[in-house]
Amino acid sequence: MELRQILHEVDLFEGMTEAELDKVAHICHEKHFHTGENITVEGSVGDELYIITDGFVEVMLGGRPASSAHVIVSLGSGQIIGEMALLDQGPRSASVLAAYEPTTVQVIKRKDFDDLCQNDTRIGYVVMRNLAADLSFKLRHRNLSDR
Amino acid sequence: MAIYKTSYVIIGADNPGTILNQDHMPRKGELVTLNKEKFEITEVLELVPPRGNFHYIHVTCRPIPRKKQP
Repeated sequence: MELRQILHEVDLFEGMTEAELDKVAHICHEKHFHTGENITVEGSVGDELYIITDGFVEVMLGGRPASSAHVIVSLGSGQIIGEMALLDQGPRSASVLAAYEPTTVQVIKRKDFDDLCQNDTRIGYVVMRNLAADLSFKLRHRNLSDR
Repeated sequence: MAIYKTSYVIIGADNPGTILNQDHMPRKGELVTLNKEKFEITEVLELVPPRGNFHYIHVTCRPIPRKKQP
């Protein structure tokens, strides 16, 4: 499937025109992970956002020591990870492992993301609005999990 | 094409739940497979209003009693 079509199915980019999606596609890089392979490590420095385009990942907390880690949610196709470190430049808030063979992601580097948002402020507005909505959705999921 | 961004929460099993995009609206009573386990949907609600093609859905599931498993 063409990358632009894949991005159409990711709500992070909802509201974008075809031309804007092409600009986003231009800064994406595809990566593949094997089952059990780390995509992010809790506490580490990270400057990449990941969009899951195939497979599943497990988001884990409390991995110090590794034996105490527990899965807090699984994420499938169309979901994003790494957005917190991208936004606030803090350490990774959780470890994320590929849980399916193969797991494919599109990677966006912070520098490319910042440049795109600054050069095209409409893209910047749409992505930031959608990122906030995604964080809100994940928080609602967490709240409902604790009922 | 509508896309249903769905948050699955499992009650009564040691399963952390899942968030995924799917191409159909989940229904109460439907059986779903999450992390290789089958569950029965007991509640479906629209979490927030749709934006564009995207619908934001929350689903609660329970484990299927053994004798009910297909």
